[in-house]
Amino acid sequence: MLYLSQLIGQPIVDRAGGKFASIKDIIIFTGNDTYPTLTGLVARSWTREFFINWSQVSELDSKGVRLSSFKIDLQPFQRRENEALLVRDVLDRQIIDVDDRRIVRANDVEIAQVNGQYRVVGVDVSFQALLRRLAPRGVVRQSNRSEVIDWADVEYLASEMPVVRLKVSMDRLAKLHPVEIARLVDSLSYHEGAEVLESLDDETAADALEEMSPERQANIIGGMDEEKAADILEEMEPDDAADLLGELPEEKATELLSLMEKEESEEVLELLSYDEDTAGGTMTTDFTPVPQDFTAAQATDYLRGLGEPTGMIYYLFVTESIESHKLVGILTLRDLILSDPQKPISEIMLKEFLSVHYDDAALESARLMAEYNLLALPVLDETGEIQGIITADDAVNLLLPENWQGRLPRVSI
Amino acid sequence: MKPISAAKEVGRVLAGRGAKGLERLRRLRLPRYRFLAYLGILGPGLIAASAGNDAGGIATYSSAGAGYGYSFLWMLFLSTFSLGVIQEMCARMGAATGKGLSELIRENFGIRWTAFVMLCVLFANGTTVISEFIGIAAALELFKIPRYVSIPIVTFSVWWLVVKGSYSRVEKIFLLMTFVFLGYIVSAFLAKPDWGQVARGTLIPTFHLDGSYIALFLATVGTTITPYMQISVQSLVVERGITMRDYAMERADVYFGVITSNLVAFFIVICTAATLYTHQIKVDTAEQAAAALEPFAGVYAKALFAIGLFGASMLAASVLPLATAYSISEAFGFEKGISRSFKEAPIFMGIFTGLLVLGGLTAMIPGLPLIQVLIIVQVVNGLLLPVLLVSILRLVNDEELMGEHRNGIVFNGIAWATTVVVIALSILLVITAFHPLA
Repeated sequence: MLYLSQLIGQPIVDRAGGKFASIKDIIIFTGNDTYPTLTGLVARSWTREFFINWSQVSELDSKGVRLSSFKIDLQPFQRRENEALLVRDVLDRQIIDVDDRRIVRANDVEIAQVNGQYRVVGVDVSFQALLRRLAPRGVVRQSNRSEVIDWADVEYLASEMPVVRLKVSMDRLAKLHPVEIARLVDSLSYHEGAEVLESLDDETAADALEEMSPERQANIIGGMDEEKAADILEEMEPDDAADLLGELPEEKATELLSLMEKEESEEVLELLSYDEDTAGGTMTTDFTPVPQDFTAAQATDYLRGLGEPTGMIYYLFVTESIESHKLVGILTLRDLILSDPQKPISEIMLKEFLSVHYDDAALESARLMAEYNLLALPVLDETGEIQGIITADDAVNLLLPENWQGRLPRVSI
Repeated sequence: MKPISAAKEVGRVLAGRGAKGLERLRRLRLPRYRFLAYLGILGPGLIAASAGNDAGGIATYSSAGAGYGYSFLWMLFLSTFSLGVIQEMCARMGAATGKGLSELIRENFGIRWTAFVMLCVLFANGTTVISEFIGIAAALELFKIPRYVSIPIVTFSVWWLVVKGSYSRVEKIFLLMTFVFLGYIVSAFLAKPDWGQVARGTLIPTFHLDGSYIALFLATVGTTITPYMQISVQSLVVERGITMRDYAMERADVYFGVITSNLVAFFIVICTAATLYTHQIKVDTAEQAAAALEPFAGVYAKALFAIGLFGASMLAASVLPLATAYSISEAFGFEKGISRSFKEAPIFMGIFTGLLVLGGLTAMIPGLPLIQVLIIVQVVNGLLLPVLLVSILRLVNDEELMGEHRNGIVFNGIAWATTVVVIALSILLVITAFHPLA
């Protein structure tokens, strides 16, 4: 097992042992293998840098590299497709440690010989590795306080060179809770954050995005491919999508709206039309209305028939009739399930309920919800027609003291 | 199909608000930094640049004016360009990469250089924290509060405020206090300086080859172009999520900040030159420094000066230790976060608390020649500046990193010239320390 830090700067000698250059960097091939192979060296001799193909290497150990011949094919180094440099592109870069749900840095790289070929097998993220590099060579021994992450488990590497981004699918990352994904993405720069979200499926990306602050969302979406951005916006809750679009420059926002499906973009535009600090500006249009003449059984069938999972399902909002949207009652899921299927909803529902007008203050609405322990609060217009609902998570965000809401500052102040 | 669409199926009439939504989108979207909002929330450039007018700054500028009249003005004038260029480069790096300075250094220069730079930063910031506490002590002593009483209380309060998260509330108060220094501008005019001499001092460079002059010169550089300012402007730009898209406004903010803070420095020198130099009063204590405000504030000069000094020092004393802790933790991957306990983030909290304690303790050392120490701290900053400048220059010229936003020739020229001059000054200072030249 060799460490990259042991090799950098070590001599490259010819077959007889005469040194003629030192190791500046190591080139790896990032194709389809799980563990990339070492394909070459970047050698430095005085001020010149050149490339040595790995086929010319006969020995490699912590003292350096010995070549198999005297004749050296000196070519200037040039980057090629699917190749990356370990020092320049991998070392000291941030990676996502999915198991521990944190961002760490590649403090060292582990290289091993596998079936005769040298490959990159792991990344050391421990502080020990840092000390090893800081101290003069060999002073700090390798011990079991190293933390090595298997290269196969490294899901994302933040690097300028696109080829180093592991095209391995990020399914392990996608399985994390959206809040955890959001927190990880928050620790990366917005370019890198956009990369990560782009490689997730739309729904997961939308869920994660919803957990970030609107400004951060805007920066990340702004840096993404627009088609993908529009797809993600469609998957988001309309009120969150509206908040996000409100943070973007006008041309960008209208561009993205035009790329979205008409129904979705219309919903979002509706929500955008309300003032920010009002109930209208906080609500979402994602709720389920049912007419009061449905029976419990009909209502349940209707719900099943909707297909796509709806956001707020614990309360159903009962309207006067199929044509009207005048709110006459609220039906809890519990009551629906527990009632006699043939009973009409009008008899099961709660006829006395709380509601707010879309121009009412957002904070007051939130307080109301907190006081009455509501999961959702209907927002009506002057005629009593339901326009949308405020959900508990939005209310909580409004009521939290300011310091708690924001993320950790990403960098020093 | 989403439920609302199903509801539409069920006969809902769209409220016709879609058009209103589009209109609102148009109204909302003035440039990112809606100007009125900008005035309320100060820009990164302004905040970072104002760090130059802290306790050390006031002491240095006052000494320059009182000791050498208007002859430092040309240097302040030129350094405005230097500072503008340097701050802009850092803001640009922040907007283009979305990363802070210490992060970029770590990712591009290997661990040994990173360790060296961070050590320099720790040292520079540490001594600056000391100078802030000295400023606090001096300010409160002008109100007759002995430092043995004031410093422990202040140290603990700052720690508490920052850790418990209530700092942002008091920050505004401290910021307001620093507006007192605008009084220097008024005072300078009221002191009726010889404007001909002012012009001469601004346009004609002079230099003396003696140790104390060079030290003061280097101190002035160190306090005008403090290493902390570069790190801070880049971090703030990243924090605010400013990208190259909205960079034009940010560039304006950077220049505005630099010009404003250097203008204040300019007038501090004119003011002290007109009031103190003309009467041959040297600045050794805060009281003497306060006398420069008398044309403006009369008998209130002392109180006003004390308020401004207190506000500026408190601001810096609260922010510097935290910023340093973040920088270092970021560079080496330590756990960080002000809401963490000592167990969860030992190094972060250790650096933060340690710097505060160090500042407090040093400020309480009896018999400390306050103004002298303040100036020495700025000299240290000046000496360490080239380390950071070289790093910044290499980063901002890196094509792979900055792409089309890398430096142009003019900026490179100004920045390199500044670096060379500062290094030359440092060497000169060391020489004169051992071998007086004049």
